Amino acid sequence: MSKIKYQIVATGFGGQGTVFLVKLLSICALHNGVECLGTENHGMSQRGGTVVTDIKIGDFYTPVISLAQANLMIGLHPEEALRVVQYLSPSGAIVVNAGKDFPKLNHPTYRLDAFHLAEKGVFNIQALNIFMLGFAISHVSDFPFSVREIEGAIYEINPKIAPMNLEVFHLGLSQSP
Amino acid sequence: MKRILLGNEAIAWGLINSSVDVVSGYPGTPSSEILSTYQFIQRQFNIEAFAEWSTNEKVGFEVAYAAAVANKRSCATMKQVGLNVASDALMSAAYIGNKGGFVLVVTDDPGFYSSQTEQDSRMVAKQARIPVFDPANPKEAYHFTRHAVELSEKFETPVMLRSLLRVCHSRQIVEIEEPDFKPREGKFVKDVSRWAALPRKTRLIQAYQQMERIQELTQYNWEKLIKPKTLGLKPGKLLILTAGTSHNFVLETMESLELAFDVLKLDMPYPLPIKEIRSLFDGYEMVLVVEETTPLIEEQILTSKVKGKLSGDMHLVDEMTNDKLLKAFQKIGVYQGENIYPNLPYQGEIPDRVPKLCAGCPHRDVYFALKKVFKRRAVYPSDIGCYTLGINQGVIDTVLCMGGSIGMAIGFSVAKIKKPIVATIGDSTFLHAGIPPLITAIYTKQKFVLVILDNSTTAMTGRQPTAEQSPQIDIKKIVEGLGLQVLEYVYENQMEKTVDFFKAVQKHSEESELPTVALVREFCVLDKPMMLEKPLPGQFATVDQDLCNSCKRCMVEFNCPPFYWNDNKKIEIDPNFCVGCGACMNIVCPTDAFIGDDR
Repeated sequence: MSKIKYQIVATGFGGQGTVFLVKLLSICALHNGVECLGTENHGMSQRGGTVVTDIKIGDFYTPVISLAQANLMIGLHPEEALRVVQYLSPSGAIVVNAGKDFPKLNHPTYRLDAFHLAEKGVFNIQALNIFMLGFAISHVSDFPFSVREIEGAIYEINPKIAPMNLEVFHLGLSQSP
Repeated sequence: MKRILLGNEAIAWGLINSSVDVVSGYPGTPSSEILSTYQFIQRQFNIEAFAEWSTNEKVGFEVAYAAAVANKRSCATMKQVGLNVASDALMSAAYIGNKGGFVLVVTDDPGFYSSQTEQDSRMVAKQARIPVFDPANPKEAYHFTRHAVELSEKFETPVMLRSLLRVCHSRQIVEIEEPDFKPREGKFVKDVSRWAALPRKTRLIQAYQQMERIQELTQYNWEKLIKPKTLGLKPGKLLILTAGTSHNFVLETMESLELAFDVLKLDMPYPLPIKEIRSLFDGYEMVLVVEETTPLIEEQILTSKVKGKLSGDMHLVDEMTNDKLLKAFQKIGVYQGENIYPNLPYQGEIPDRVPKLCAGCPHRDVYFALKKVFKRRAVYPSDIGCYTLGINQGVIDTVLCMGGSIGMAIGFSVAKIKKPIVATIGDSTFLHAGIPPLITAIYTKQKFVLVILDNSTTAMTGRQPTAEQSPQIDIKKIVEGLGLQVLEYVYENQMEKTVDFFKAVQKHSEESELPTVALVREFCVLDKPMMLEKPLPGQFATVDQDLCNSCKRCMVEFNCPPFYWNDNKKIEIDPNFCVGCGACMNIVCPTDAFIGDDR
């Protein structure tokens, strides 16, 4: 575990909760005794603008993910996902909330139309971030943290709403691309 | 204890664990969480302290500085452009000095993520002749804050902690001590020759003392901070001097490119022991300086061996990245390998996503109504805050600085531009820097409309409370105190009422030879207590597809986030994002296509 080096770029637009993902994964790192660096946008970018957050797990120096380095991208919106593909390493995986028209890219891609599922009432759109994280973990084989570790972090971050968040997380886990 | 801390949280912990018990400042990204985290810890550990926002950075500085003159340990916090506002006080305080430790925390924003400028606050420290720390990450932010307080007390000088966006808003696991809070006793010892030093005689004495102090600090920097790090240096091809976050980029790029050069990090980039540092250059072919944002170190230690921004080898604008460093290594000839940071963006078209006012925000209605009443012809100076996003609705022509809308309205009036002038400013910005220009406008008899958008919070930076939380402070009374009649409107989601109000404002302005002040009482949809007290009406909207004639007026003039073009080239409302404010169902659509959504 100590040798792990894993870089995740999470993106969406303001209000979708990408910053929450950084908090969640950094808690997992703390409990695993792994170093972790994260960086996020505040201020203007939270008014519906593009929000890009970087999470680097393991021994890194800067929290900023460089071009062509990320192992995984979690895109909460298709356009925002396309905007940051240059940060993925050639083998880096894409987990994206997008419809069938999402273009074919030269990366392993796990696509889920979460907006559609939310409209059908499968889950509450407010918890899109946790839903997509669940989906990511069930499909990305090299994800650095286990389901149980994430569950623990979800509980720690806010015990009050944890039951609701855990339910959405498990719904995300059970989705197929 | 080990904690995951945001850089700003680490700074707050550094203050707590230095027994700093006076913290004051003005919010501004990326600095805002420092004071709010301090308040959070204060409540958590039941710590008795003063941690409050001031009306502006200058006041914030003066409050904290005076507390340190009175023996307290204190901190003033602000963003880089806020330091411009506080610099009058700083330049003078730098001569006079302080008793208790006084740390000035200033946060810079290379890359213009949420600022008007990319200025380097370390340059201001150099101009003021005060030492400046430049932390690289949250861990250092914590330790350097503590160091800055100690150093300030030891040398009786303000000390700056310059933090960068990538420290303030980066998260890291930081080991911190349990709070052991022992604040200093407040006491003011009279010493007129020091605290009220006047030009020319006493100030001259202080200037010589300041020079001595900076000499001692230079020596301190060498002996304590730099020299211990030089023992491992082995002269060779290249020595890299770094500071702040640039250090991380250098180490990471070198590791990735499998390069190994000596790196010397300067924790305190001013004042530098220039002779000692230059003597380290012996034996190296080249010296590369990597720092953000301006060449502060480079200018100080420049010799013919030095490469960096001045030599054209490092970038001058925008934030540091590993790929920029790789290019610099190529330029100076120390790396010939491949570019491991290729920039291969998606080749298709991706529509720009600009920040917008939140769905349900009353600012949107105000801007819509302003355009309806004052038309495109009017000139619209605006200001700094969420409402700057009114630019999307075509109702903002200029943005300069805090309070600049009113000063610019005066200038446009003086220039006789022969067009109506309609300035917009938020409540916090008005209190920050809007009152002096309004006074100027009145006694020089300028004619324009000033719209104060009052949502009683500093919304853009995270909803910090404004002075209006005190029942005594009311913008209406302030403006009336200047002898003006205030046209007041309590926002309603009925657009015709908003439009009628601004028609009355227009009429008033046409008949007046002075500024016309319109005060709109609003709310912030992000403010949970405010919204719990008076929730939105739950009037969700949808679009009658037969009535929509694709005129795009709603997109251009109302610009609500849930609006989008569907495949039939008609407007639709995304039900996931409509908050039910109901504002669009009235006047906004010329064909009344926005109708209630029964769900």
